[in-house]
Amino acid sequence: MKMNTISSELSMNDLNSKFFEIMQNEDNAVEATNFIYDQLFDDVTLGILFEFHHGVKTGLTDLIEGEKEEEEPYKIVNTSECDVFGFSMMKKTPDSNCSCPNCERPVSATRFAPHLEKCMGMGRNSSRIASRRIASNSREPTSYAGLLSDDDDDADWAGGSMQNERRKRRIKNNNNRKPNKMHNGNSRNGHLNNDANDGSTTYETMTANEKKNLLLHSCGVVSEHTKKFCTRSTRCPQHTEEQRRAVRISVLEPSTPESQMMGLTPDEASSPPDSSPSSSCSSSSRKRDRHRAPPKMKNKRERNISPSQRE
Amino acid sequence: MTVNNTIAHQRLILSGDRERFKELLRRRLIECGWRDQVRMLCRDIVKENESGNITFDSLVTKVTPRARALVPDSVKKELLQKIKTHLLTQKDQ
Repeated sequence: MKMNTISSELSMNDLNSKFFEIMQNEDNAVEATNFIYDQLFDDVTLGILFEFHHGVKTGLTDLIEGEKEEEEPYKIVNTSECDVFGFSMMKKTPDSNCSCPNCERPVSATRFAPHLEKCMGMGRNSSRIASRRIASNSREPTSYAGLLSDDDDDADWAGGSMQNERRKRRIKNNNNRKPNKMHNGNSRNGHLNNDANDGSTTYETMTANEKKNLLLHSCGVVSEHTKKFCTRSTRCPQHTEEQRRAVRISVLEPSTPESQMMGLTPDEASSPPDSSPSSSCSSSSRKRDRHRAPPKMKNKRERNISPSQRE
Repeated sequence: MTVNNTIAHQRLILSGDRERFKELLRRRLIECGWRDQVRMLCRDIVKENESGNITFDSLVTKVTPRARALVPDSVKKELLQKIKTHLLTQKDQ
């Protein structure tokens, strides 16, 4: 009440005189100083708080200071199913499995094109086999027809028939050689592959002898995925010695006495084919092989020397 | 003596010197980092207040006491000294 009257009614001169009067006493001055300081401090604080509050309310503070940091920016995940970023490591196989339109087998998407190539016979290798097979089936009637219609002395036609005959013979040789090769231990993998692919694809459809021969020269482990047996060599790196042994035991078990008679214990079967001479069949074939080897070499050399003969 | 203080304060306002002192205090508090500290305080309080709808009054009541304690002694002493000498030297005019 009194304060109000003073502040409102005092003129500038009165205020000045009052002020000087108060300042006579230094304690009053100190007290006034503290009071003024508090007032000043409140003012400054208020100003800053106004500023801040305004910033918060209008979203300016967030804009100026940027987005708030995440609590755990890069937490390393340490579980077995995920990688360190927490992403799942499970393969997406269910999605990427396609079924082959030719053989109706599930094939992984990444292997689909190669599989199609093989399955439908478009590859370099399979096409050669396929064309040969087609040739062997289709050529015979045409060539006979050519021989039968021998009236005209067309040199080209004769040459053509000659060529056909030679090719036919070669095909026959091929066909004859294959089973022999199966018996002697020197067949190359490629041939074995072809035989395996041409013939039955599972052990169920094979005879005991075929099984034995196959297992002598190739790995033979049955794949879980394709249900086919491995046609690589007995030392194929994809399968372990244990797998091979297990397959041999399981496949040859029904015919155990036979296989034992032939000297085909699983241990021996997994060893290289040359080291199993006890089997009478293979030993005889080896003899045959020895007899045959030199002319074969000769043939090869001749072919190499005079390729014109072939044409 | 509030009347005496008010008279001194009133005269300081009328002379325009109060604004000078206020500006000086403000600058000193910014220089020494006090303002940033107070801002941090405010941010913490806003964060604690989950709803995000903090009123200005509650902000003032929560922050002011702590802010007062945060003022460095050197700044406070300088200000007090300057105001006091100002008041005392006014007397002589």
